[in-house]
Amino acid sequence: MKISRTWLQNYFAQPLPEAQALVDALTFHAFEIEGVDGDILDVKVTPNRGHDCLSHRGIAKELSAILGLAMKGDPLRVPLPEFPIAVEMTVDAARAPVGAAAYVRGVTIAPSPQWLKSALESVGQRSINNVVDATNYVMFDMGMPTHAFSADTFKLGDTVRYGIRSSEKGEQLALLGGLAVELSGHEAVIVNASNEPVDIGGVKGGMRAELQEYTHDVVLSASKFEPVQTRKAAQRFNQRTEAAKRFENEMADECALYGIRAVAELVRDVAGGEIIGYGIERARTPASRSVSVSLTKINAVLGTKLGETDVADVLKRLDLPHQQTEEEFIVTVPFERLDLVIAEDIIEEVARMVGYEKIPVVELPAFPTKPEVNTTFYAAEKMREELMAQGFSEVFTSVFADKGERVVANKVDGVRPYLRATLTTGLQDALERNAHNKELLGLKEVKLFEIGTVWSGGKELMMVGTIGEKEQASEKPLESTDAAAYNDLPISTLVRYKTFSKFPSIVRDIALWVPAATTPEEVLAVIRAQAGELLVRSEKFDEFKKGEKTSYAFRLVFQSFDKTLTDEEANAVMEKIYAAVKEKAWEVR
Amino acid sequence: MAEAPRGHMHPISSLIREATTIFTGMGFSFVEGPLLEDEWHNFDALNVPKDHPARDMQDTFFIKDEPGMVLRTHTSPVQVRYMEEQIKKGIQPPYRVIVPGKVFRNEATDMTHEAEFFQIEGLAVGPDISLANLKGTLTKFLRELFKGASVEIRFRPSFFPFTEPSVEVDMRLVGEHVPEKLRDRWIEMMGAGMVHPDVLKNAGVDPSQYQGFAFGMGLDRLALLRWGIDDVRLMHSADLRFINQF
Repeated sequence: MKISRTWLQNYFAQPLPEAQALVDALTFHAFEIEGVDGDILDVKVTPNRGHDCLSHRGIAKELSAILGLAMKGDPLRVPLPEFPIAVEMTVDAARAPVGAAAYVRGVTIAPSPQWLKSALESVGQRSINNVVDATNYVMFDMGMPTHAFSADTFKLGDTVRYGIRSSEKGEQLALLGGLAVELSGHEAVIVNASNEPVDIGGVKGGMRAELQEYTHDVVLSASKFEPVQTRKAAQRFNQRTEAAKRFENEMADECALYGIRAVAELVRDVAGGEIIGYGIERARTPASRSVSVSLTKINAVLGTKLGETDVADVLKRLDLPHQQTEEEFIVTVPFERLDLVIAEDIIEEVARMVGYEKIPVVELPAFPTKPEVNTTFYAAEKMREELMAQGFSEVFTSVFADKGERVVANKVDGVRPYLRATLTTGLQDALERNAHNKELLGLKEVKLFEIGTVWSGGKELMMVGTIGEKEQASEKPLESTDAAAYNDLPISTLVRYKTFSKFPSIVRDIALWVPAATTPEEVLAVIRAQAGELLVRSEKFDEFKKGEKTSYAFRLVFQSFDKTLTDEEANAVMEKIYAAVKEKAWEVR
Repeated sequence: MAEAPRGHMHPISSLIREATTIFTGMGFSFVEGPLLEDEWHNFDALNVPKDHPARDMQDTFFIKDEPGMVLRTHTSPVQVRYMEEQIKKGIQPPYRVIVPGKVFRNEATDMTHEAEFFQIEGLAVGPDISLANLKGTLTKFLRELFKGASVEIRFRPSFFPFTEPSVEVDMRLVGEHVPEKLRDRWIEMMGAGMVHPDVLKNAGVDPSQYQGFAFGMGLDRLALLRWGIDDVRLMHSADLRFINQF
């Protein structure tokens, strides 16, 4: 979520440190930061904190705890007033545990004041008008999605009626932006006085009650929709809106009440009008929750030696009220912290606030018994060594195939959707692709093996497959092998991998007579000096003596990093080599 | 005719061999589990409920006409399988296992993403296994793996449904012999944490008596770092221009 430092500053009397200091504070004590652009931080709020931290208020709360800066005010800690009632509510509690609406009369739709426009634009939102902007501001500020409707169709005589029900299969709804959708019967909808849907609950508003320039009376909504169906509805219509994202993470019921009040007051402040009243329907009153954890347990899990004051300090900074009896901390969980349920949740709060750098490095004690030898792994390692000794190199080919007994239902790229029933097809394909690189690799024969999983005969099996240019692909099940201990086997000694050219190579042979005392290395040095970087492999493949002379034959492999070499280019290099050889008075055969 | 020259081992196999040696030395046993996994072991037992945004962290391959079956998205289901088996045999913790193996993500492939790749999972459970032990274990592992360099690790807060607390583990290599690209830079290595009590409970282990740590590290990424490989797709390319360098 994009978080503005300027916006955060509203929560603090003292000036906040520079953006980079906020990045460090959050990175090591709360969330990963995906990017920084000036004073805007892209904070990757983890799914467990989607309840309360997809908001500037939530991030301010974190920073307050991490940096030890007192918040000027916390909108979720002020007592709620009695809500004067002006909206008749009919809310299906299964769809929305809290229905919250407000009726504001006499607004003037106009461009937003500059502060509001800047705030929204700073976090990448487009300013639309004062009322719509007020609803978005409340969402990004305290995490509660809200929506504004033209009140006209909610009115029936003197009353204002707002409802939430399940959609009916086949009902039509034109969404804001113009997309017309047919409802499935599974989504929640907000309905007007005529019981017509005006909004896919928690996802997106509809055009039927869209605000117009001439709208004077508005119905505001801050109902809390049930997470699972909201998520499914957002997926169904491909509308992963900011609102849907917050509902699927579920916020506390109370947020709906704070949200409706905040949005009604902000609309009044930026668009004028009068708050006539609210409609509130709560299906339940969540009980106050507490979580206990002992200091002993905290230290046992973290491997630390924290004291009671360390823990008490963390809880205080996080605004987690608690009571302490001996070494037991009983935390009264604030309503918005739906993530704090078990002792370990509190332990995590302590760990991240104290700082993970405070966790000592402690090796495990000796294990009471000898580790078991895995019979499959042992067999695979044995097989690997045997095959490598015979000149086979190991490949991993894809488990996805064009044929097989089982098929993936939802493969993103759509290709090769089957789970392989054999290793041989992949090996055959790998052999063909490697065969033309034989010279480049300096191999007499390409020989491959794979130890891998196949799905055949209704079972998942581990197979060993081999293939060579002179032998057909074959495979057999890997037989597990019992052993008392693993053998000490060599690992790769490669230090750094070298990128190879993706272009084809060209092979040229050269055979020449040289005086008997001349070594092949001397000849190669002359060849290399002429061939330069294009010569990627050179190998002597023949040698014989005749009197005072020796005949050497070399195989030269040319390849470019930038392009496919032509025969002419290879020939030109060979001409240079011939000329240099001639200068040495060596005789090309 | 002369004997054929020795063939080459895939870098992932070399890493698994090396990691197994190091972890065996710390008392861990190598265990394995099926690639085609049931959703209960892959998700539910690991505290990832259906229809929860946390499942978005995994892009899953489902199998046609086999409801409830997936290609495992991580090696973590083997944690649960292993503990279940031990409990069934009447063996209580301590447990120490590693699970190297193939995992799957249903996503488009590019230079840094593959739909099939390798992970190594670690699990240690006992009456007093702590987050400090996790730090000690990973420090020792990475120091032995990156011999010759001085290895530092650090934890950052994170979230995984199956661990609480959860951390992201970064590594920094210091020393003259460290390639410049890696030297003195913090590199994200893996996710880890203390096994969530619900996971222990789901596997039949009593969380009031036992606790433990778990970690999951991408082996392909480790290979990329270890050898300076520039494209993860080479791992499944079966290209000897790549493999024969190892």
